[in-house]
Amino acid sequence: MSSFLIALVLGLVFGFLLNKAGLTSYHKIVNVFRLTDMAVLKFMMSGLVVAMIGLYAMRGLGWITFPAIPATYVVGNLAGGLIFGVGMALSGFCPGTCVAGAGEGKLDYLIPGILGFLTGAAAFGLTYEKVFPQISRLAAYGNVTIGQLWNVNSWLAIAVFSAMSLFLFYLIDRGLIRKDRLSSAK
Amino acid sequence: MIRIRYLFAQELWSPYLAGGLLGVVGLLAVGLSNHLLGASGGFQNLAGIAGQAVAPAAFDNVYFNYVMPAVITWNVVLLVGIFFGGTLGALSARTFRWRTMPDKQWVEAFGPSRVKRWGIAFGGAAILQYAAGIAGGCTSGLAISGGMLLAPAAFLFIAGMFASGILTALIIYRGRF
Repeated sequence: MSSFLIALVLGLVFGFLLNKAGLTSYHKIVNVFRLTDMAVLKFMMSGLVVAMIGLYAMRGLGWITFPAIPATYVVGNLAGGLIFGVGMALSGFCPGTCVAGAGEGKLDYLIPGILGFLTGAAAFGLTYEKVFPQISRLAAYGNVTIGQLWNVNSWLAIAVFSAMSLFLFYLIDRGLIRKDRLSSAK
Repeated sequence: MIRIRYLFAQELWSPYLAGGLLGVVGLLAVGLSNHLLGASGGFQNLAGIAGQAVAPAAFDNVYFNYVMPAVITWNVVLLVGIFFGGTLGALSARTFRWRTMPDKQWVEAFGPSRVKRWGIAFGGAAILQYAAGIAGGCTSGLAISGGMLLAPAAFLFIAGMFASGILTALIIYRGRF
């Protein structure tokens, strides 16, 4: 029960942050794919850098153990991502940002959006046994991390990812992204 | 204190600040309840609950009984939180408003038809959820939660998502890309 209370509070903060980052707007999501507004990328990569450092530090100190690592099965992870990107660029939301946007009073997120997720979820659950076992066996490495798979120190991977992120932020903020030519863009 | 109140009333925060705080939420989820954040997982449980109420025989399968059981889970509660978190964010900046259409960039790309928007929102959502199922999670459940644990799956997913997202936007916006 207290676990559910934690889920509720973390969800509240999560939805609040999605709103404050502007990710509950159609244009913020689509414009990262048009390379004219990189807020989505900045949000994701900042979150990753902070969480990576925090998690590996807390585990190093013996404060936490990791939950199951999401499984790597190359074809499925990549194919899923490829289909996901199409849905995201069309609709201008993803599951989390749609729910937070629905909470802001966006009825196109609340009604067709949430019904669409439930429909997709039902379709996946009903076809799971025919589709998923095959896909998840292709180029499957199991519940591994980059450190385990390539036998490198995790802190080296974190340092490389953090340095790449900071360099990318620097390039973006130096104005090395395209100017928006839409008339609705100010 | 006044500065904090001022910050909360802002409509938009720096994505670095909001993203960094999201990272804290992600690690608190692991530290406090050994769970990963993830929005699409909760929809699988909810679809199972709805499906077993409407068509019990069809939804009485391995998936909805064992893989993603048709019950209220941690991820379903998280979804409820995300929803009201969006409400709190909008109320704090006084942007809460019932509306049926997205911002004007949508109208510029697709026209003012509400049927078209709602149709694409429905179809897009269904595609997103099925794709998240195949990939093993969505933007929060795989890209962020997997990425913070350094799972290769997360980076494969992110690469795929940006490749096809950029291509799709290129097609939708053609000359105005």
